[in-house]
Amino acid sequence: MTAAIPVLAIGLLDVMWIAIGLFVLFGALSFVVLSLTWLERKTLGRLQRRLGPTRTGPMGIIQPLADGLKLILKEDIVPSSSERAIFWSAPVLVIVPAFMIWVTIPASHDAVLRNLDLGLLYIVAFAVVGILGLVLAGWGSANKYGTLGGLRAAAQLISYEIPVIMVVISVAMLAGSLNMREIVAAQSAYPYALIQPLGLVIFFIAGLAEVGRTPFDIYFAESEIVGGPFVEYSGAHWSVFFLAEYINTFAIAALTVLLFLGGWSGPFLSENWVIVWFLLKVYAVILVIFWIRGTFPRLRIDQLMAFAWKVMVPLSFFTILITAIYKFYEWPAWSLTLMSAAGLLAVGYAIYRRMVGPAHRVAQVRARQKALREARLASTQSPGGTTNVV
Amino acid sequence: MADASSETIRSGEPIEMLLNMGPQHPSTHGVFRMVLWVDGEKIVDLEPHIGYLHRGSEKLCEGEQYHQVITLFDRMDYISNFNNELVYCQAVEKLMGLTVPERAEYVRVILCELNRIISHLLYVAAIGLDAGAMTPSLICFRARERVQTVFEAVSGARMMHNYFRVGGLKEDLPENFEDMIGELLPLLRDDVEESDKLLTFNEIFLARMKDVGTISADDALDYGLTGPCLRACGIDYDVRKAEPYSVYDRFDFDIPIGLDGDCWDRHYVRMQEMYESLRIIEQALAQMPSGPVTSSLGRRLIRPPRGDVYVRAENPRGEIGVYLVSDGTDKPYRVKVRPPSFCNLSALKHMVKGAWLADAVVILGSLDIVLGEVDR
Amino acid sequence: MLYSLKGLLLTLVSTFHGLRQPVTRQYPATGTLWKRRPAPTPVQPRFMGFPALTWDGIVDEPYCTSCMVCIRQCPTQCMSATMKDNPLNQDGRSSRKKIVETFEINLNRCILCGICVEVCNFDAIVMSHEHEMSTFQRNGDRVDLPALLEIGMKFQAKTSWIPPTELAKLAEKNQSGGDSQDPEVAAASKEPDGEPDG
Ligand code: SF4
Ligand code: SF4
Repeated sequence: MTAAIPVLAIGLLDVMWIAIGLFVLFGALSFVVLSLTWLERKTLGRLQRRLGPTRTGPMGIIQPLADGLKLILKEDIVPSSSERAIFWSAPVLVIVPAFMIWVTIPASHDAVLRNLDLGLLYIVAFAVVGILGLVLAGWGSANKYGTLGGLRAAAQLISYEIPVIMVVISVAMLAGSLNMREIVAAQSAYPYALIQPLGLVIFFIAGLAEVGRTPFDIYFAESEIVGGPFVEYSGAHWSVFFLAEYINTFAIAALTVLLFLGGWSGPFLSENWVIVWFLLKVYAVILVIFWIRGTFPRLRIDQLMAFAWKVMVPLSFFTILITAIYKFYEWPAWSLTLMSAAGLLAVGYAIYRRMVGPAHRVAQVRARQKALREARLASTQSPGGTTNVV
Repeated sequence: MADASSETIRSGEPIEMLLNMGPQHPSTHGVFRMVLWVDGEKIVDLEPHIGYLHRGSEKLCEGEQYHQVITLFDRMDYISNFNNELVYCQAVEKLMGLTVPERAEYVRVILCELNRIISHLLYVAAIGLDAGAMTPSLICFRARERVQTVFEAVSGARMMHNYFRVGGLKEDLPENFEDMIGELLPLLRDDVEESDKLLTFNEIFLARMKDVGTISADDALDYGLTGPCLRACGIDYDVRKAEPYSVYDRFDFDIPIGLDGDCWDRHYVRMQEMYESLRIIEQALAQMPSGPVTSSLGRRLIRPPRGDVYVRAENPRGEIGVYLVSDGTDKPYRVKVRPPSFCNLSALKHMVKGAWLADAVVILGSLDIVLGEVDR
Repeated sequence: MLYSLKGLLLTLVSTFHGLRQPVTRQYPATGTLWKRRPAPTPVQPRFMGFPALTWDGIVDEPYCTSCMVCIRQCPTQCMSATMKDNPLNQDGRSSRKKIVETFEINLNRCILCGICVEVCNFDAIVMSHEHEMSTFQRNGDRVDLPALLEIGMKFQAKTSWIPPTELAKLAEKNQSGGDSQDPEVAAASKEPDGEPDG
């Protein structure tokens, strides 16, 4: 009994520190989300030659606060036929995993809550839990659009989890560790993006699908199922989903940076300020995500699944394969670059052939058709008079 | 693959879900309601419900004098106002045996073709949003604003113009029209090209649109499709060529056609039509004569002789027909409109059956309906 | 793949355009929260805003004789008016025998078609450039004579308005060509309404 007291005391202290750390993390992430919503509006605005928010503060900088205030003050509507318990717990199930991932994502060498030895495994494992929340949200709101959206989410997110895991494994093979710090340290000579471009592309695309950003925003497709799982949520509960979505986006961008773009390593800055490099890189990746959002339409669910299972999964296996070959025979680094780039080009060419091939053929046939029609018009017009009805 | 499994499941007990799309749904283009029976994501059956925007326009026409009816035609297909005004004015003119001054005809053609372009631009905007791309819509609206500013300078209103009159126009073009349109056309062409580049051959867009909502040429004729929806099936039927009205026989333009009659072909035909319209406008501007724009009718109250007349014209959405009966008074006895959207919409069920849920949205978008015209 | 990349390039270029010169026009004011400059929507000269009545500055009375032509021709029947004997006419200062006493337009119903302006024979009504007239009351936009005249006078001052008939006379004088059509029009346009004092 007496021996247990100091243990308990240490435990309490520990818990307290963790609580404070979580609090700080939560604050930081909330700030990040606010900045992201502002950035997204501004970027999309400029991309479409609009202004984006302008009225709230200089350059609309406090627009996210205004939005948040509005969301919190908004009435929280619960559909009468919904499953109350599920309806209430779904947002929590979505936000908690999104938040927990960040426990082990380091922003710099020291800026991390708990650097786990199996950090990558932990992240991958927790990322999947959020799906449950989405499915429950769709189901619990007793809405057909919601249900469809929840099921779409389940199918989509689980399919794209596989390529993500595979690519993460290949990175772990390269670095020889699952510890985020060591992965970043292993990239001090060159970022893995250089020797594993295929991995970067797969991870980025699958990551987009994971967080449901355009062109993979299928499970809440606005124009089809009007918000999917979120369709019945309003006010603060909806904002929780919103928060989770942006935290996830940020996490995917951060992981891309950590795994492929050399993490916080960069020139010019002293050891204490490397977090700036990390943030710069992450925001650059996020700008690319917004850029893609401003350019592409959305896929259909079956095409999305086909893309996952026919393209992404084989490719991710290929990634592992070439990484293994590279590691086993200890070839020079550029050989892996070559193999990876070759895979990338092959896939790009295949997609190009499948999609644009028909379009070119159609255009050719169309030109022929036009010539035919002109010939016919000329022949009908020469006898005199215009034809009445075809 | 999916068919076999869904067949076996359905043989057990029905698991179809009834899904109500609309009347308040972001992509039903107004207040249109589709009752869908879906099996998972596959559409088994569809029941379209229209009439939410029924304003009784045809009946209202019977209570208005001839020049007041123009305002109602403005509001029937509220995206292509000039084209609608044109067909009504032509109907009354035919009934009265009026000839329209040359210059007025050219102005009408220019405005109608501009209106065709911005109507198709609205279609591109909508199909972009339906397919999940938001930037094309803003590009298109930018272009639309530019054109509408010219419309405002010409007619005084951005959308509900009330500018065409029986026998001519309300007033001549403003003095700075040449400058305005000279400034507008290159910008407009840029915008059209931009949205074209962004959407038409994009791989994702192709995947969404190609081989979706296919309809054969025979079926299309049976359903009475007209306009781009018909031409996408490979039939080069365009009222402007088949039965040239106004001064359309003086211009050199092509009728773009598709081959397969799927959503992408309909999109492609519309994109090409915009370029053709630009060609027509350029030719019309070069040929434009000077002279009066109103007939000797002036502002006199119109009393066409007894009789009836059917006039048709090519709207952006297809062939619009107006059947007008006059009993010799100052109000039409009956006005019947054959709206292109309504007839095109009738093929929706045919196209949507067996498609994916997400396709229904795209198919509806590619039909490019205007509910104001469907319900009248 | 290629076309997707082209699309990406296009949006990138567009972003730089957006950074340089966005096409948004701010409304109703520009600037930040604390430094606002009003930025009204520019309208074209022919813009048809809400209809308003004009003021004859020479004899100091409205042009409108309340002849009811526009009221009968309005497709939405959103106007009403009453007339009275013109006191200025009895003094001999004005040539108008009758003058408008009350005039009301329900701007909520008005569809801004411009027919009323077209049919008025007395240059008494114009399509002003006023288009921001929302109110909080259900019928707050039923405007009466003074309000209509006020809008009209604002419009007249802003555009240095000349009555269309005088413009036409001027144009005719300039042309001085034998225009056979105009008298006919004038006669024709008078046909449906009847004289105001009839
Ligand atoms: S037509 Fe002209 S004068 Fe007659 S009531 Fe109307 S505004 Fe007044
Ligand atoms: S603009 Fe048209 S609707 Fe409005 S008052 Fe004049 S005639 Fe009536």
